[in-house]
Amino acid sequence: MSTGAVQHRVRAGARLGAGAAAPAAAIRIVGGGGWLDAGRPVSSSESISLADDAAIVEYVPGDLTLTARAGATLASISKATSAEGQWLALDPFGAPTGTLGATIATGSSGPLAHAFGTPRDTVLGLEVVTGAGEIVRTGGRVVKNVAGFDLTRLFTGAWGTLAVITEATVRLRARPERDETVGVALPAESELDAWLARLRALPFSPLALEMVNATLATALGLEPRALLLARLGGNEHSVRAQHQLLGAFGDSSAAPTRVWSALAAIEPAGAAVVRVSAPPSRLHALWARLAVGSDPTALAHATVGRGIVRCIRPSSNATPIAAWLDTISRTEGTHIFERLPASEWSRVPSRVIDPLSRAVRIAFDPAQILNRGILGGHA
Amino acid sequence: MALHTETRSPASGPPPDQADGRRGALIDTEKLAAQLAAIVGERGVLARPSELATYSSDGLPGYRLRPRLAVFPTSKRQLIDVVRLLAREKTPFVARGAGTGLSAGALASGDAVVVGLNRLNRILSIDPVNRLAVVEPGAVNVTLTRAAGAHGLHYAPDPSSQTACTIGGNVAENSGGPHCLKYGVTLNHVIALDVILASGEIVKLGNADGEVDGYDLLGAFVGSEGCFGVALEVTVKLTPNPEGVRTLLADFMSIDAGARATSAIIAAGILPAALEMMDGPTIRAVEASIYAAGYPADAGAVLLIELDGLDAGLDADVALVELHCLSAGARTVRIAANEEERARLWQGRKKAFGAMGRIAPDLVVQDAVIPRTKLPDVLREIAAIADRWQIQVCNVFHAGDGNLHPNIGYDSRNADESKRVGFAMRDIMQACIDAGGTITGEHGIGLDKLEYMPQIFSPESLAAQCSLRDAFDPERRANPGKVVPVHSCREWRGA
Repeated sequence: MSTGAVQHRVRAGARLGAGAAAPAAAIRIVGGGGWLDAGRPVSSSESISLADDAAIVEYVPGDLTLTARAGATLASISKATSAEGQWLALDPFGAPTGTLGATIATGSSGPLAHAFGTPRDTVLGLEVVTGAGEIVRTGGRVVKNVAGFDLTRLFTGAWGTLAVITEATVRLRARPERDETVGVALPAESELDAWLARLRALPFSPLALEMVNATLATALGLEPRALLLARLGGNEHSVRAQHQLLGAFGDSSAAPTRVWSALAAIEPAGAAVVRVSAPPSRLHALWARLAVGSDPTALAHATVGRGIVRCIRPSSNATPIAAWLDTISRTEGTHIFERLPASEWSRVPSRVIDPLSRAVRIAFDPAQILNRGILGGHA
Repeated sequence: MALHTETRSPASGPPPDQADGRRGALIDTEKLAAQLAAIVGERGVLARPSELATYSSDGLPGYRLRPRLAVFPTSKRQLIDVVRLLAREKTPFVARGAGTGLSAGALASGDAVVVGLNRLNRILSIDPVNRLAVVEPGAVNVTLTRAAGAHGLHYAPDPSSQTACTIGGNVAENSGGPHCLKYGVTLNHVIALDVILASGEIVKLGNADGEVDGYDLLGAFVGSEGCFGVALEVTVKLTPNPEGVRTLLADFMSIDAGARATSAIIAAGILPAALEMMDGPTIRAVEASIYAAGYPADAGAVLLIELDGLDAGLDADVALVELHCLSAGARTVRIAANEEERARLWQGRKKAFGAMGRIAPDLVVQDAVIPRTKLPDVLREIAAIADRWQIQVCNVFHAGDGNLHPNIGYDSRNADESKRVGFAMRDIMQACIDAGGTITGEHGIGLDKLEYMPQIFSPESLAAQCSLRDAFDPERRANPGKVVPVHSCREWRGA
């Protein structure tokens, strides 16, 4: 859908102009349609699909920047940039048919965030239609920009509750000359804390550094034991040295690079997914509590540098969802609930009910028509 | 850039003293000074014109605005009490760090009170395990890097003014610096803030204990130029010092050749820690000063390139960079042999503005960003603009991310020259905008660039920015009249 068409639909939904007496119509924003069960249930009477507006608008390899319409899939961007030895260094969980707009709107990232950060670190500018029906451009197409108040950051990760993202400019990275993955066996639980401390002190930053529990390692077709997956990038000399440094951490063996796309797509349909994060020094405690349990079907992985454990509970899991959520909720840390059965969301506190967040919501979507309910509270 | 001796740029809407229409009657200044003194002590309040002179300008020449008063809290408690008093008295205020800003952003438009934060300068804690530090807003940038050095860490954003500028000021401006090419700007290094809003309410933004959920209000606050509130405490990430560093100096006969080398290095996918360019006039100013760095005085341009990371592999990257420089026409590429030589090469770059200060009584530093592939074209255009207005432009800038800093030395007592400098600045900004760039990469809008905002943002986009400000500060008392032209906000309110 073109920006103008989106604007028309939002204005109609907000009942701007004629017929203002009628109640506003809540609108669900849809990208590729693959993540519609993420976040709280949305109450809406209609939807706006951005999937068919998927063009890459401008790509200047020499600038390492790319502008695309919101419906462009990550796969199509990957295809265009690979040809130039570049990539958009975002690997959110889900299928590669996920769209750029949805990735930014949900602030989603994956293991590569270890080295490259999240969408807030990658997005340079946006075109959006606000809930007030205005077409707004934020940021720009250059890699450094402090002109004006930062609406780019505000709309990134706002789950579409402030504006519909219609176009985005992102920063690209050069693909490393070598891109190799190695799996290293995790040590015994009692040694994990010291082991992780040594790992964080390594004199290099891998592209990704992700722990997977034994169940997940098995599901990925790797050895059936808890592993650290290290994605190493750089030139030949650097990667060789990185392999040597990691060799001191335990039994290691090469893993195929495709393990990362397998990890991204590992969660079964209908799974509940929750992330728990804490300062990296507490990761061993989170891991012990959330990933090492006796449940043979629970999948878990952790982003070492960011102190995040991501817990995946297939719907076939024997543990009742309430008990599973209790264990997670009682684990000290910051909880982010990605997917839950609709009935469970009422247990989860909203993060946008503070007065400042409320004021922001009302400023951009006064009738609160966009993705109503997805962030809880009235948002 | 417009050069004004008294107030503001003509395109920026109503005069700053009318910049917010939401204020009630102002309290008598003497009474206000007494109330402030009751919080911070007599010596913490400045009221006499002679005392306020220092706080009437910042690092950018051409603007002077005397604040109504200046107040200097020495503790978080005092700062909170000061902001709450100003809220009760409906008095506008401007938070100010070291005053090194280059956009007239810390000046007291709207008859504001300056709240000086430079005495709140402590580093409160360093957590070497999680690589975090908590600092007061007035902590000087370089003191944090020095304190973190004991743990093999540093604070990555390194503006040229880092020996003076404050972390709170860096947060307000989303400051950059040479090493931001690889390590990112202030936004990428601040993870949590305690903020007092203009209303006196205290909010926590971001999260030092894990991921952020909800709106990225921290991201919105960083770079808001003091218009959204005042940081009470700042939690920042610290970065491990790299195992290996290689610093190269490549010299070229022309700016054009240096610009081509820059584009080639970036396009080849090499990510240096820093990639800085200095042109001939800058080189000669540096070499004639006490900061002489050993740059070849006859060069048309030099590139200062730093690569860092694992020792293994660095030399291969150095060889690639060298190759790209030589192919673009470099006469020589020199690699600093030791830490002393590296420090000297960097000193020339970091003190270039100071060195140019010797040449002319006034110096105006411009700041714009262009797509990196446009560097050769835009630098040629800037040279043509300098010829057209018969002024001397020195270029010293962050070439790797396309962040230009044309500097113009002039004498502000010469009205004709000042006028020509103003026209040239305007033409340079236009050239950068036309090239698909933006009007500031790290110095901010402040008062100085208000007039350019409508050239890069539509009225709707400016109005949306205003409404974000209004969510934080509905009375618009925090740094009134800055960043977004006031008339843009009025249109939004009327809509």
